[in-house]
Amino acid sequence: MTTDAAISIQKLNKSYQESGQQHAVFNDLQLDVKRGEFIVLLGRSGSGKSTFLNLLSGIDPPDSGKVIINNIDITGLSEHDRTLFRRHHIGFVFQSYNLIPTLTVAENLLLPLELIKRVSRKDHDHVEELLAKLKLSDRLDSYPDRLSGGEQQRVAIARALIHDPDVILADEPTGNLDLDTAEQVLELLDILVRKAGKTMIMATHSQEVIGKADRVLSIHNKTLQLR
Amino acid sequence: MSAILKRSSRNFLWQHPWQLALAILGIALGVAVVIAIDLAMESSLKSFNQASQAMSGTATHRIIASDGGLDEKLYTGLRVERGIANLAPIVTGYVKLVQPGEDNFKLIGIDPFIEKSLHAGWQNGQSESFSRDLLTRLLSEPNSVLLSEKTAQQLHLQINDQFKVITDQGAQQLKLIGLFSVNDAVAEQISAKLIITDIATAQEVLGLFGRLSSIDIVIEPDDPGTLAAIQQSLPGSALLVSIDSQAESMREMTRAFAINLKALGLLSLLVGMFLIYNTMTFLVMQRRRLIGSLRLLGVTRQQIFKLVIGEALLLALIGTVVGILLGIALGQGLLYLISGTINAIYFRIDAATLMITPLQIGKGVLLGISATLLAVLPPAYEATQLSAVKVLARSQLELGSRRLIKTVGLISMLLIIGGLVTAWFSGQSITLGLASIFLILFGFGLLTPAITLLFTKLFERVFGLFLGILGRLPARMVAAEISRTGIAIAALMIAVSATIGMDLMIGSFRQTVAQWVHASLPADLYVSILGDKMTAEKALSDHQLKNEIAKLAGVQMLSSALHTKLIADDQLTKISVFELNEASKQGFIFKHQVADDLWARFDNQQSIIVTEPYAYHHAVKIGQKIRLKTDQGEQAFEVIAIYADYSGDQGHLAMSRQNYQRYWPDLGYSGIGVYAKAGTDLKQLESRINQLMTTQQTVKSNQDIYKASMEVFEQTFTITETLRWLSAAIAFVGVFSALMALQFERTRQLGILRAIGITSRQLTVLIISETGLMGLIAGLLAIPVGFIVAYVLIFVVYQRSFGWTMAFYFDAGVLYQGVALAFIAALLAGIFPAMKMAQTHPAEALRTE
Ligand SMILES: Nc1ncnc2c1ncn2[C@@H]1O[C@H](COP(=O)(O)OP(=O)(O)OP(=O)(O)O)[C@@H](O)[C@H]1O
Ligand SMILES: [Mg+2]
Repeated sequence: MTTDAAISIQKLNKSYQESGQQHAVFNDLQLDVKRGEFIVLLGRSGSGKSTFLNLLSGIDPPDSGKVIINNIDITGLSEHDRTLFRRHHIGFVFQSYNLIPTLTVAENLLLPLELIKRVSRKDHDHVEELLAKLKLSDRLDSYPDRLSGGEQQRVAIARALIHDPDVILADEPTGNLDLDTAEQVLELLDILVRKAGKTMIMATHSQEVIGKADRVLSIHNKTLQLR
Repeated sequence: MSAILKRSSRNFLWQHPWQLALAILGIALGVAVVIAIDLAMESSLKSFNQASQAMSGTATHRIIASDGGLDEKLYTGLRVERGIANLAPIVTGYVKLVQPGEDNFKLIGIDPFIEKSLHAGWQNGQSESFSRDLLTRLLSEPNSVLLSEKTAQQLHLQINDQFKVITDQGAQQLKLIGLFSVNDAVAEQISAKLIITDIATAQEVLGLFGRLSSIDIVIEPDDPGTLAAIQQSLPGSALLVSIDSQAESMREMTRAFAINLKALGLLSLLVGMFLIYNTMTFLVMQRRRLIGSLRLLGVTRQQIFKLVIGEALLLALIGTVVGILLGIALGQGLLYLISGTINAIYFRIDAATLMITPLQIGKGVLLGISATLLAVLPPAYEATQLSAVKVLARSQLELGSRRLIKTVGLISMLLIIGGLVTAWFSGQSITLGLASIFLILFGFGLLTPAITLLFTKLFERVFGLFLGILGRLPARMVAAEISRTGIAIAALMIAVSATIGMDLMIGSFRQTVAQWVHASLPADLYVSILGDKMTAEKALSDHQLKNEIAKLAGVQMLSSALHTKLIADDQLTKISVFELNEASKQGFIFKHQVADDLWARFDNQQSIIVTEPYAYHHAVKIGQKIRLKTDQGEQAFEVIAIYADYSGDQGHLAMSRQNYQRYWPDLGYSGIGVYAKAGTDLKQLESRINQLMTTQQTVKSNQDIYKASMEVFEQTFTITETLRWLSAAIAFVGVFSALMALQFERTRQLGILRAIGITSRQLTVLIISETGLMGLIAGLLAIPVGFIVAYVLIFVVYQRSFGWTMAFYFDAGVLYQGVALAFIAALLAGIFPAMKMAQTHPAEALRTE
């Protein structure tokens, strides 16, 4: 089955087993995302935003239903193949503790590249360029714990983009930042992702983003609703 | 408030069952090893003392004799002519039961009608009329004996049954006429392998006509006259000793052996302490948020400190109890090893049982709890420093620990230097020698994190070159969490370097001994003549045998040795009496330059040569005189040489047969060396000699003796080997627990790696590389440290403990094995945590922080 959509989600069900009790998070979730679309995902804490993103990236397998990205049904893949798929096609930004603390800023950016190919001089230049754009040229060889929260988040965004994935998933990327810094980070995401024509789904509480989104969805009653 | 604190602490511990179990295991293993060694060692010695006590009643003194035994006229002389009361003559020897198991039994001949004060424990237990009747029968019926009820039961013997034993005199028929019962466990153990009879029967069965083994005496402390009177009437071969001093000298003899064993036990505890420290740090760090919140709620520093110490105490208590139980079980196993070694090198222990005394249990409790508290002080202090406002991230904590590592580096240098200085200036003390090893090990242990950081830099460069960022990651991960990894590496390093050190030492020792055994076997064949040297006919038959061998075709010349005891400087001392030829003289390795006329003086002057351990223990120098007791009073013998001998650590004397015959009775030979003419078929000669011999005599080629000697050598190190593996096992548990804690703490980080697209297989490889790297670092570090340990062991501790000098033989294989051991141990310890992490669902991993 082929569709135009970058992402197509069909009849997705997910529940957790907790102390013997089945506890459903999603019931027959349905969604199509167009290529290059920017979707903002709202929802109360505990509504299942993170779970949704994890299902999309294949980090968490659903109970039933399909997640099709670039015409590949990732729910049909093995765990190993899902991981390989992820490293090529998906970029991640989390709320906090995003970066590998034992790698420098530059290495954090190079790691996704290294996973998919032989890293060349050109890639190093690319990393430097990107960091220059983020005004982090001088922090190339710093370890993440020496950077401020905002700087770390900017590096995380760069890392999510560096290997040119099709889909960017961001889970409350500004959750730990003050308003001003959050603004900057969102601006950055908007510019970089949009310009590159990437599909992005961002879970957030922040109202500012809503204006920039193509679609705003919220999780309600275990399904997605348009706002 | 504090009830809630306690509950929160309990909940937390329950949520980390792995760490809980490992902490308890760490304490338990350390305590167990220490206790086991202590129990086994003490029990071995005590069983010797108690056996002699059970047999000698309340005797205060004992007349003992060298191999010739005592003439029974001495006894009658003392009793009748001198009118001394409270004397008990004793004849003892070993017999082998023909029937089940061919067990060795001790046969004791007593005089049933001596004073009651000299009755043995078992005699006092019986009713008066019973024993009177039975003892009379013992005297009147030939070959009648008593056994304990239990022994008779085990052997399925009824009263009036006959049974057969083998002695030097051949097979003998004994008749069981009565049973005695004992009322405590110790006596039961001792009586289990005992046959009691009267003096005459014992003399006959053992072929000791007219001789006694010893005479027990009760001398009141305010009666120096009796003491002097006895002293005066003693012949040259007899010695009056107090029972206490005899027990003391047993202890003294095995002192070095015991100290060395106990040091091995403490090594286990030291390694165990790293484990405890590691776990408690984990338990504190894991709760830094919780503790921060508690502080915010108004919990004081003291309360936090008490909380952590309280937890540690609880763990220590459980661990110690488990450790004591484990130690008792382990002690049971070690008892056989230890008493076996004592049997082989020091003196005969008949029946050793594990005797558990409150003192030793108390020691174990004290050690377990104090080691735990010592290990938990740093993390407990750290916990009080956790601030309420600022909960530090792991990485920031690591910054702090890096600073700490520098300070500790300084301290560790001081410890190492202190250790070396101690080794240098420790004089005669074995304890100080061993203490220096501990200082060195502990010092290097503390230095390990700092050196690890250097190593990781190197490995990162090297691997990064070929394997990119993923290749750099393992080294980075080790360095990033140095407070954890450093401890694990240090524990492993200590265990492995102790192993390397001991291996190098044992290897050097083995080489030295092998060369010595080889050199001291110049003859082609050796005839060994066992049997009791007390019997009069033995000397005669020995001479006969020697003459017959000399007449055989193919025999070029003979040498002979008699191993017996003399009283030297008021101590019963082993002596070898030699009849040497030109070839056998080459078999001596002297510890110094010797003059050309040495052998002439040895044969013709009133001179003596001594072994290296003897010279060491008695501080004997060449030219010094040693007084030997003879029937004609004391005679001084000049020490003219000191020679190498590794057959025992107490040392002995040696003199020429000419010298010996001048003063002491002929006891025949212990061994005859046979030198064949060139071209003789040795196998044939051996069988021809065999035809001349009785069952007591054996002939062996020098090759066979060499092999047998080396087997004994290996046997004596079984116990060392076993204990070493125990400490390595504890180190393994330590590394395992550290790795578990480590991976647990980095769950989130590993989750992100998985989200980026690292497969679970890559993650496994990553973690295993990290642990392998840790093992490699530990192994590499252990090489130089092991070397130093070996040096101190060889040139300080062993020389002092046993009086042996040996050459340092370097064996590269030991080093490879050490590195491999560390590497493989770490890899193995890493497999489980690696798999656990690789299997952790990435979504789960990302939920943690
Ligand atoms: N492993 C799990 N086991 C049990 N329940 C889980 C598990 N993971 C998530 N849940 C539950 O699923 C629901 C959705 O959780 P999720 O983390 O997706 O929420 P969220 O919308 O991201 O919340 P927040 O805004 O606080 O991050 C919650 O009720 C949560 O308790
Ligand atoms: Mg969430």
